[in-house]
Amino acid sequence: MNVPLAVISVTLVAAVAAALLTHAAATFGRSRLLGAFAGVLLGLAGPLTVMVPLGFCTFDDETTTLDRWFGLALIAGAGFVAILLGRTALDPDAAKRRQQRGDDVAHGVFRGSRLAPWLLLAPTLVVLVVFLYWPALRTLRLSTQLARLGAPRRADRCVSNFTELVGPGMPWLVVVAISTAITVWTATWFARRRMAGRPIGPARQRVETAIRFGSTIGVGAVLLAIAGLWTADYRAVFVVTMIISIGTVAGGLVIALGIACLAYQPIRGAGLYRTLLVWPYAISPPIAGLLFFVMFDANSGIIEHWVDSIFGLALPDYRTNARLAQLVVVLASIWKTLGYNLLFYIAGLQTVPKDQMEAAMLDGAGSLQRFRYVVLPALSPITFFLVVTNLTYAFFETYGTIDYLTAGGPAGQTSVAMFEVIQTAIPGRDLGRGAAQSLVLFGGVVALTIWQFRSTGRRVSYGN
Amino acid sequence: MIPRRTRRSAVAVVCGALLIAACGSDTDTADSGDTPGSDTAPDAENTADTGDAAPSSGDQIDVWIAFTDARLDWTEQVAADFNEQSDGPDVVVQGYEDYESLFDATLLAFDQGNPPAVVQYFEAATTEARDAVGANGNPLFTSVESAIDGRDEINGVPVVLDDIVTAAANYYTIDGTFTSMPWNTSSSTMFLNRSLLDAAGVESTPETWDDLRSMCEAYMASDAATDSCITWPNHSWFLEQSVAQQGALLANNDNGRSGRASEVMLDSDAMVDYVSFWKGMQDDGLYTYTGIQRDWGGTYDLFAAQKVPFLVYSSSDTTLLTDEGVNGGFEVESSLMPRNGDATSGGGNIIGGATLWLVDGLGEGDQDTALAFMNFLNNPENAADWHRTTGYIPITNASIDLLESQGWFDENPNSAVANAQLAAAEESPATSGALLGNFVAIRDVLTEGVEDILVNNLDPRERLGEAQVDAQRLLNEYNELFG
Repeated sequence: MNVPLAVISVTLVAAVAAALLTHAAATFGRSRLLGAFAGVLLGLAGPLTVMVPLGFCTFDDETTTLDRWFGLALIAGAGFVAILLGRTALDPDAAKRRQQRGDDVAHGVFRGSRLAPWLLLAPTLVVLVVFLYWPALRTLRLSTQLARLGAPRRADRCVSNFTELVGPGMPWLVVVAISTAITVWTATWFARRRMAGRPIGPARQRVETAIRFGSTIGVGAVLLAIAGLWTADYRAVFVVTMIISIGTVAGGLVIALGIACLAYQPIRGAGLYRTLLVWPYAISPPIAGLLFFVMFDANSGIIEHWVDSIFGLALPDYRTNARLAQLVVVLASIWKTLGYNLLFYIAGLQTVPKDQMEAAMLDGAGSLQRFRYVVLPALSPITFFLVVTNLTYAFFETYGTIDYLTAGGPAGQTSVAMFEVIQTAIPGRDLGRGAAQSLVLFGGVVALTIWQFRSTGRRVSYGN
Repeated sequence: MIPRRTRRSAVAVVCGALLIAACGSDTDTADSGDTPGSDTAPDAENTADTGDAAPSSGDQIDVWIAFTDARLDWTEQVAADFNEQSDGPDVVVQGYEDYESLFDATLLAFDQGNPPAVVQYFEAATTEARDAVGANGNPLFTSVESAIDGRDEINGVPVVLDDIVTAAANYYTIDGTFTSMPWNTSSSTMFLNRSLLDAAGVESTPETWDDLRSMCEAYMASDAATDSCITWPNHSWFLEQSVAQQGALLANNDNGRSGRASEVMLDSDAMVDYVSFWKGMQDDGLYTYTGIQRDWGGTYDLFAAQKVPFLVYSSSDTTLLTDEGVNGGFEVESSLMPRNGDATSGGGNIIGGATLWLVDGLGEGDQDTALAFMNFLNNPENAADWHRTTGYIPITNASIDLLESQGWFDENPNSAVANAQLAAAEESPATSGALLGNFVAIRDVLTEGVEDILVNNLDPRERLGEAQVDAQRLLNEYNELFG
């Protein structure tokens, strides 16, 4: 056990936390001593919460260098979160700002017994604990073990289930991408500060566009950096997940909006027509996969039969062609979510303010311009909501579709992260690695959610 | 070999669901067509309900098997016959979708103190089943042979364990005894569409890889050529069969039979040769890869739709495939699985299938009933009927004699192939089949590698070398837990 390294790293985190929180306390007009005290406490608590359950195993003698770095990263990450929490707690205005932003919903207040709300919440809490928090804790535990489904015997694996996924295959990619991200973000940060005082006008609009563009590039660079971190095997999973998710969400929303605009036109029988369009939503993901399989199968599919009998051509086999396989999975997923997206877009189109449309028309805006400058912004809350739900769908629900369409093939080219997790843990019966991968996926979703709420959320117009 | 039926019934369910959704009526559309799987599913649920009611009270014992189609019906019928002639507890049969979920359910029931008496588990998981323990650390199964304890009959049912055909006996006899009772047993055989071959003017039956290749080339060059010439599922079983045919081992310590296997050999010359032959056939447009691993359904359909004249498959579906020909108006012939003509002697085909395992810790009465049922299931009449219904080999010599005396093999030459192929194998560790830990997961590593080779055009030796590394890691991990 490399005790000095462990002690030094934890102490270092505590010291940094103390320094930062002392500074923060002073800025917020609180006692420096309080800040320093909170800093030491949180700086110790954060890393210890992570490392004590692990038994500081990343500092064992037989661990690899990668395991050690992983352990240090865990300590640093836990410290970072602790410092953020401490800073928010010290900031007297934080709660007020949260309420202003609308993140903190505080509508009703319970009077009387303090027990009543908890009693009322109890059924939900019981369900959450039994079916969510307890399994999540078990997943955390499993991810540090060599554990096989159907075999009660276990062996401890420290963090190797995670570090196995990380490989130094593309160091240049990581370095280039991270430096790009840092540069872009620093630039946008400065731009934002300078912009704060500027009056509203074309110049400010240009800067705003540039900032949006920049932060998109920054996110792309971070995704590239993450892609470069994995081993070749897991990088393939990451890339496939990105292709299929982005394809499903972007393609799905564009197509849904297009069809919604058509279906929104006042035509005879529109009600029936719209009802029929919503239909695919009622079908479960595996059935969508099965239907597309029945259509596109290159050996006995319906489309193959038509193409063959009408044109005398052979349909290319999507199950032995990676790009085609991904395309078919994306198509099936888009079709499956189409009804859901349509439902929201059609409803959304009905809420676009008529007076704004009329005003734009009087100002001489063409139908394309009206769509771009009136309809799209008015739909932005719905689009934001749909991006979130569709991404969740693409991450977690495409499993059934993929299982029936391609079974993850050809050679893993449609094996998204979720499919890989199930494939590893259930047919592969490797619970430990499956749990580790599911936590990686969980981390990805948490990051994505934070990013969505920070960037897209800011741009959403709720019309107030 | 379940998947084809699963998919068919799934298709039927889709059609059913669509129709039900479309007309909003509650007509029973899912039951139409040739989908035994879809209408047996409710039965399984019903038996599950009754099974939960009173399992340990002594008036019934549970038998869990991994079939949900006509084979479940067949087994339930045999159980009914058994219950009629037995005074002990009734045998209740329950079907599961696949072996894995069956095993998981068994383990769960065992940990809750409410296990079934007999469960079916497949050949590749033999090591896992022997090592299986419950949460309390007690073994899950007990040896069938030691539970029989030398008796000639149990509850009036004659014991058939010493009459099991050699190939199955060799596979399942470990350390000198049967730990489980063989039941559904098959081998990999080839099926030919003789009508297509005749139309192409291609004669004879291929025995070696070279024969097959030249016949396929002739076939594809003819006017009667179809999309391609041959297909078979990318299932590890066929690779294992080929390695055994060439007399090579899959694991050290005599395929894990003289001691626990500690090294797996996925990159042996025999394996590389077979995969190279396979890829060569694909490269020349003679073999169709359906693009999915373990695709029993897609390969079967290609043959049944007369898109290929050759199919390497499991003999378990001999009856079904022969009937496809009868119904589809073409002649189906069964023959030996083609072998490597360059391989030296010492090899032969191995079995596949599953055995019945006896759960440990049953009361004496329940255990005897379970043993009696296992032997009843394999009595000559039932074993012969099982063979006629499905195509799994007749598992005892007495059942073979019975079938011969009835003239079955003369009328159905296709049904004799699997037994003949297995009987022709030289007795050796190679043809006994490999026993090793995490075998099921290692199989998947192998088929993943083969898919990579076929789809991405990789070098077989190099890619199998990578698969070997992954497989060895899996074996090491298993031996760390159970060794």
